[in-house]
Amino acid sequence: MRIITHLCPACGTVVAANELENNRVMKCPGLGCQEVLRFEDLPEDAREHFLKNRNRYQT
Amino acid sequence: MKGVLLSGGTGSRLRPITHTGPKQLVPVANKPVLEYAIEDLKEADITEIGVILGNKGREEIQELLGDGSKYGVDITYIVQGNPLGLAHAAGCARDFVGDDDFVMYLGDNILKSGVTDLVENFEAGDYRAGIALQEVDNPQAFGIADVDEEGNVTELIEKPDEPPTNLALIGMYVFSPAVFNAIDDLEPSWRGELEITDAIQDLLEDDYEIDSHVVTGWWKDTGKPVDILEANRLVLEDKDLNTAGVVEDGAETDGRIELADSAVIEEGAVVRGPVSIAANTTIKSGTYVGPYTSIGANSTLEDIHIENSVVIGDSEITANGRIADSLLGRNANVESADDLLPEGRRLVVGENSQLKL
Repeated sequence: MRIITHLCPACGTVVAANELENNRVMKCPGLGCQEVLRFEDLPEDAREHFLKNRNRYQT
Repeated sequence: MKGVLLSGGTGSRLRPITHTGPKQLVPVANKPVLEYAIEDLKEADITEIGVILGNKGREEIQELLGDGSKYGVDITYIVQGNPLGLAHAAGCARDFVGDDDFVMYLGDNILKSGVTDLVENFEAGDYRAGIALQEVDNPQAFGIADVDEEGNVTELIEKPDEPPTNLALIGMYVFSPAVFNAIDDLEPSWRGELEITDAIQDLLEDDYEIDSHVVTGWWKDTGKPVDILEANRLVLEDKDLNTAGVVEDGAETDGRIELADSAVIEEGAVVRGPVSIAANTTIKSGTYVGPYTSIGANSTLEDIHIENSVVIGDSEITANGRIADSLLGRNANVESADDLLPEGRRLVVGENSQLKL
């Protein structure tokens, strides 16, 4: 199973794709970081894979 | 070597305590369980730590740990979100870990001997993983490792009917980055999670050497209230306890007592250690605090007899009664109903509470 994450370019906080997809647009959860993270920040193939297999990333 | 500290999970077995906070912040001997893990990693010279956050209690964990500087470590947060298994959590840490080896530590576990020996054993050989094991009396109830004469793991078996050894996996691991390739190949188990034991099994099938390290001191998974009490007992048994607060004349104390410098044991109170009493807490006259009890900060105890219990803090406990083997959440108050009519106990009890009256 492919594990998809995104690295905040400002602070290095790592966010899993399920979290990005849930929020679509979110403030980086890193301490004091003001960066805005988006599901669209993921590479296109990663987004497509996630959305195609979305149920596997839910609980 | 880096550290990956798992701090997700729902804490369902610790409800109602975990209705309002993550299980990793429940205190043992007046210190959140998670801080023991940070200290163990620091002791093993691991100062770059990735903290995995789930869906619950993130802000509280970040508020406690901050950037790690107060512990002398550097913390990076890794938001796993949905609980998709330990291997998924490890996989989420891939960018943080890079080409380093890493210790994976379950943040609700606490162990006497730390992880230094586990790390040193791993680094002494050419291993792709190292697994902490402990001898158990009921191996049928655990994931069990079989090992050869040199201590290399040969097989992992989940809850075997006929266990080849009594060596249970306790949830502490060291991995090389090779584990990420094994994780890439995993499929979710029957419970929908990526299992770390499946990743280790894949490493074994690829003929990589896996080290085993048998932990000799105690180890506790603090997942249930009874486990918190047991961990509290074990830590108080071992910990150096310093009495910095005020013990008034006429108070009776015996044994080892940790008393914060702003805490007071007043005249007419009896405290028998090992006990931990946190800041701004007052033990008033008529109170008995017995062995293996931790009383959290900003609490007042009067007339109560309490032993082998954990009071998390901000509590008023003033009933004339006996409390034993109990876990009281933050802001929980226990007062007397003696003067109330009609006679009877008055309870405001949250979901999943357990009372034995």
